[in-house]
Amino acid sequence: MSIKYIIDGKVVTAEPSDTILTSALRAGIEIPSLCYDKRTEIYGACGLCVVEAEKVPKLLRACSARPQEGYIVHTNTPRTIRARRAALELLLSDHTGDCRGPCKLNCPAMTDCQKYVKEIAEGRYEDAVNTIYDVFPLPASIGRICPHPCEDACRREMVEEPISIAFLKSFVADKVLEMDPYVIQTAPDTGKRVAIIGGGPAGLTAAYHLRRLGHSVIVFDQQPKMGGMLRYGIPEYRLPKDVLDKEIQIIEDSGVVMMNNMKLVRDITFERMAEEYDSVLLAIGAWKSQGMNVPGEHLEGVIPGIEFLEKLGRGERPLLGKRVAVCGGGNTAMDCCRTAVRLGAEEVFVVYRRDRDAMPAADIEIEEAEEEGVKFMFLHNPQEFLGKDGKVTGIRLQRMQLGEPDDTGRRSPVPIPGETDEIEVDNVLMAIGQIADCTGTGDVAMRWRGTIDANEQTFRTNMENVFAAGDCTNKGAGIAIQAIAEARQAALCMHQYMMGEEVRGEDIYYVKKEVTPEDFKDREKLARAKMPGLTPEERKHTFDPIYFGFTEEQALAEAKRCLECGCHDYYDCRLIRYANMFEGLDPGKYPGEVHHRPDKEITPLISHDPDKCVLCGLCYRTCDQVAGKTLIGLYNRGFATEVNPMVTEADLEFCKNCMKCVEVCPTGAMKSEIPVKRVTEIL
Amino acid sequence: MKVIVGKGSCGIAAGANDVYDRLEALSRENPVPGSSVGITGCIGMCFLEPIVDIYPDPDKPDCLRLVHVQGKDAETIWNAVKSGDLAALEPMKIQPEDEAFLTQQTRVALRNCGVIDPESLEEYTARGGYRSIRRILEEKITPEAVIEEIDKSGLKGRGGAGFSTAFKWRAARNSPGEEKYLICNADEGDPGAFMDRAVIEGDPHSLLEGMLIGAYAIGAKEGIVYVRAEYPLAIIRLKKAIKDATAAGYLGDNICGSDFSCKIRIKAGAGAFVCGEETALIESLEGKRGMPRLKPPFPAQAGYWMKPSNINNVETFANVAWIIENGGEAFAAMGTENSKGTKVFALTGKINRGGLVEIPMGRTLRDVIFGIGGGIRGGARFKAVQLGGPSGGCVPAERLDVQIDYNQLVITGAIMGSGGMVVMDENTCMVNMARFFLDFTTKESCGKCIHCRLGTKRMKEILDRIVEGKGEEGDIEKLEDLCNAVKDGALCGLGNTAPNPVLTTIRYFRDEFEAHIYEHRCPAGECRALISYHIDPDKCIGCTACARQCPVNAIKGEVKGVHVVDNELCTKCGNCKTACKFDAVVVK
Repeated sequence: MSIKYIIDGKVVTAEPSDTILTSALRAGIEIPSLCYDKRTEIYGACGLCVVEAEKVPKLLRACSARPQEGYIVHTNTPRTIRARRAALELLLSDHTGDCRGPCKLNCPAMTDCQKYVKEIAEGRYEDAVNTIYDVFPLPASIGRICPHPCEDACRREMVEEPISIAFLKSFVADKVLEMDPYVIQTAPDTGKRVAIIGGGPAGLTAAYHLRRLGHSVIVFDQQPKMGGMLRYGIPEYRLPKDVLDKEIQIIEDSGVVMMNNMKLVRDITFERMAEEYDSVLLAIGAWKSQGMNVPGEHLEGVIPGIEFLEKLGRGERPLLGKRVAVCGGGNTAMDCCRTAVRLGAEEVFVVYRRDRDAMPAADIEIEEAEEEGVKFMFLHNPQEFLGKDGKVTGIRLQRMQLGEPDDTGRRSPVPIPGETDEIEVDNVLMAIGQIADCTGTGDVAMRWRGTIDANEQTFRTNMENVFAAGDCTNKGAGIAIQAIAEARQAALCMHQYMMGEEVRGEDIYYVKKEVTPEDFKDREKLARAKMPGLTPEERKHTFDPIYFGFTEEQALAEAKRCLECGCHDYYDCRLIRYANMFEGLDPGKYPGEVHHRPDKEITPLISHDPDKCVLCGLCYRTCDQVAGKTLIGLYNRGFATEVNPMVTEADLEFCKNCMKCVEVCPTGAMKSEIPVKRVTEIL
Repeated sequence: MKVIVGKGSCGIAAGANDVYDRLEALSRENPVPGSSVGITGCIGMCFLEPIVDIYPDPDKPDCLRLVHVQGKDAETIWNAVKSGDLAALEPMKIQPEDEAFLTQQTRVALRNCGVIDPESLEEYTARGGYRSIRRILEEKITPEAVIEEIDKSGLKGRGGAGFSTAFKWRAARNSPGEEKYLICNADEGDPGAFMDRAVIEGDPHSLLEGMLIGAYAIGAKEGIVYVRAEYPLAIIRLKKAIKDATAAGYLGDNICGSDFSCKIRIKAGAGAFVCGEETALIESLEGKRGMPRLKPPFPAQAGYWMKPSNINNVETFANVAWIIENGGEAFAAMGTENSKGTKVFALTGKINRGGLVEIPMGRTLRDVIFGIGGGIRGGARFKAVQLGGPSGGCVPAERLDVQIDYNQLVITGAIMGSGGMVVMDENTCMVNMARFFLDFTTKESCGKCIHCRLGTKRMKEILDRIVEGKGEEGDIEKLEDLCNAVKDGALCGLGNTAPNPVLTTIRYFRDEFEAHIYEHRCPAGECRALISYHIDPDKCIGCTACARQCPVNAIKGEVKGVHVVDNELCTKCGNCKTACKFDAVVVK
């Protein structure tokens, strides 16, 4: 006979066979559990399903407790939440693994590198592009120019060399661009209107995400074309503009309105936009070259690097003299010196006040610049730009030495008193940094360095509906993927704001683990794919792209080198889902001994990672109670308890590879050589 | 004359086998008409073992009790028996104040322990044994009436949880099904508890009779005694008792000519503390890994092989025949409002007279510790008593007047438990004590539920840090937090109660935790990382005793000169303090 009781204020009917867990779920109330599956006998290990029934002093485990007529049950009380949180915090205190690969975690935008590399390895190019588009909309462009922090973190380095993740990205994006134009799927219109000021990587990324979420989006940009620094800061030989054009077209095709030649103050006013639009994003970048405060800075022939590159971007070919000095050690300095080579300068010097190791530019950029004949003058700092008739003719350089480490950890350069050098130059390109020009941003609060002050989690400014992201905010100019990351988060927060939700962005907790080369000592060494391209000699005379891109064969082989560090079952893992469900959960609350155990082979097709195991018992219970075998068991006690194969060579024939043990695993502990869909049956 | 040697495990450990063997040999080589040598189980006075009782008239209860008897005394004893003049044994005679240890007790569960030969069915029946089951069967008293009688007695489970025995029997009786089981939990695992062992070793038939009555009451045809394998003597004596009782028709088919049939068998446990938890015990009985099951269903509904089952512990069963014989009211006449009858305690620790104590409920802890137990050994100051072992809590000096009563003890934060009573004095560090019990539960956790597997481990790690002087601000609060979470969330009694020793020590001795954490000081002078040894120059006479005992030569000094401890070398073993006859070694 069925009974009625109340759970979370809902009247629920329960059959005699029902537990609180099953009857609640049928009424649409999900109670968390890691160890329940209806195919096995009730076990009750995880304790997550605890609920409180009025007038019952003990917490009830919903998986086993039978509801009684008239029960008043609450699933989310402070007491049940405390018990669940403690259970999860305890589990996480001894749960070792990598939810996500280090590549993804090191990408500022958290692009799922491992996933798209895997998709490339399997030839699923469209899936790979979709994976990237989940995060940002310019894969072919970014793949070419990103300094790829992902590769810095890549553990393949511990075997021989990191995976060429960035080039794999441009490879696959090119592949898809060659086919039908990529179509962005958009949600139904929300009726909300967004204005984005600045059409660089940040502005375009935000526009894309907001449009995808169904908002009406307009982007204003001061330049004749969209793309920002990607177009006007990065030379053609690194990023062909037709690639960028195609990617921007895809965004425009999704319905984003793009307005060029619109400059703040001159053509549009910020205040009006803040009033007229539901929300506004300031993504105006950092377009001002930082001055050097050196006498002679205003001599003719001393050119801010950014202005120089911007001209190139507009299709101009500025005339340079024979001897060109570039001041600075970053990627902009490299772009400047290598462009100068291409413009015909006979001698190009890079003047940098620290040593090579301290250069912020990407290694490959420095190497290629050297190959192209650029000379480097390390530990030199301009003391004065010398001139004649108002025109620069040379630089007096102060010799430097390295002193105490500064707050970036690099040793700071200090002058060696009295030691100077002089060089003759026809031009100087200043590339020591870029700063934001925030003229016309009204009452938006600034930081002392002249950047917009935006909350680092939500990217909200001091103004209710105004957000800001990218180079114009906080710490100032950085790499494109950083701006993209901020823009994506800002877009999410603008969406939350406009939809009346709590503005909090996205903050996901992941489990990580430490590894050493020792863990990979058995891996076969496979060389990293070499990008085919022009020879240094050929490069010096052309703005043509220096790289040809991977061949398909190369790309497939490269993608297959991936060690697949991130957990395969991330999307099905109930532990990480619950861990992120509880606000204020502190995985580091109970530090202590943590296991580090090797995987165990259960059968040739099935293995078990004890460090990811939550000891829910589902695998061995399923083997016993569902499959009718007993090939898996538990051994040891207490903290040392482990799932253990109970198979001997002779028993193996009993395993019919039904994969049920893998199917029921709530985490990524049970692994199989063949894909198995995780399934939990509650009802 | 009858000479009886106490041959419980404790007596044997103290040398009772040697005493018995020699006496027995003398009685054969040099027989004395009308005199014999026999054995009995544990008398309960561990501090006096080996014990020999001489009954001048075997039919009278008066006896001469000899204590600390050694094998070499056998001849003296036998000669005295032969001559009929026991005066020569006067030096071995128990002291009156020690005798008071027993005379202050009321023995129900232990009524035959230390009195009869546990291997003799005749001696059991001679003292009224098997009369209760025979009466029930012959007078055709209904099972319901038996349960009613137990209900009247107010008997509660003596294993620790203190659940009404009659309630459980009734639930098992009313549970549908033909096949039912009666299980005796003899997996006595609390450190320092040995009540059940004493009953099985000393009076196995009383357990069997209690089980028979229980089986009859619930409708079971099979009984199983789950004894821990660490009790070999208990298993041997119980096996013999089962064999003898079966031969005498008290076990097997058609008991005492009735249509009631019941078999009892023994299952030796493999040494897991958690198997004392009733559902884990059932799993173990079924041949599975000893891990608790989720309740409900309760064993009375679906227990052994999912059949209705009833589980009681040894001491509970040992009371049953007495209750049937004397009536529920007689049992209920003893004790307090909600705790009836007597309870056996295993009194151990820093106590003058340790052993088995059976007293009516309602007596105070002070009564037991200072009255029966004779206070603290060596004249030290009493600090606390741990009740209920690793599942229980400690009761401090200021609460010693609490009555022994299920509810009263819970108010203190401790529990009645199965009867372990470990006495601690001022030299016991309470933080270390909590750590000791947690170390036990951590090792004995079966690993099934998260709260117990990881919660006890993390708690112990915090306590480890504190006793090593690495405690941090917030540790106490974190411990309390974790304790409450584990108490609430663990699957079975082991986990639910594991925090109790920690919670009660924090409650009563928070200052000791604080001294460890904030002052890096162990007030009891026990935690090695936090103490150092020094020699008081005013007391040291330069006898060199300490230096000779030091294993690392950390003590320097001339003969007749003041000695000094080199704390760089000292391993804090404490040998010097033990060796010093002049109290010159001080712990700071």
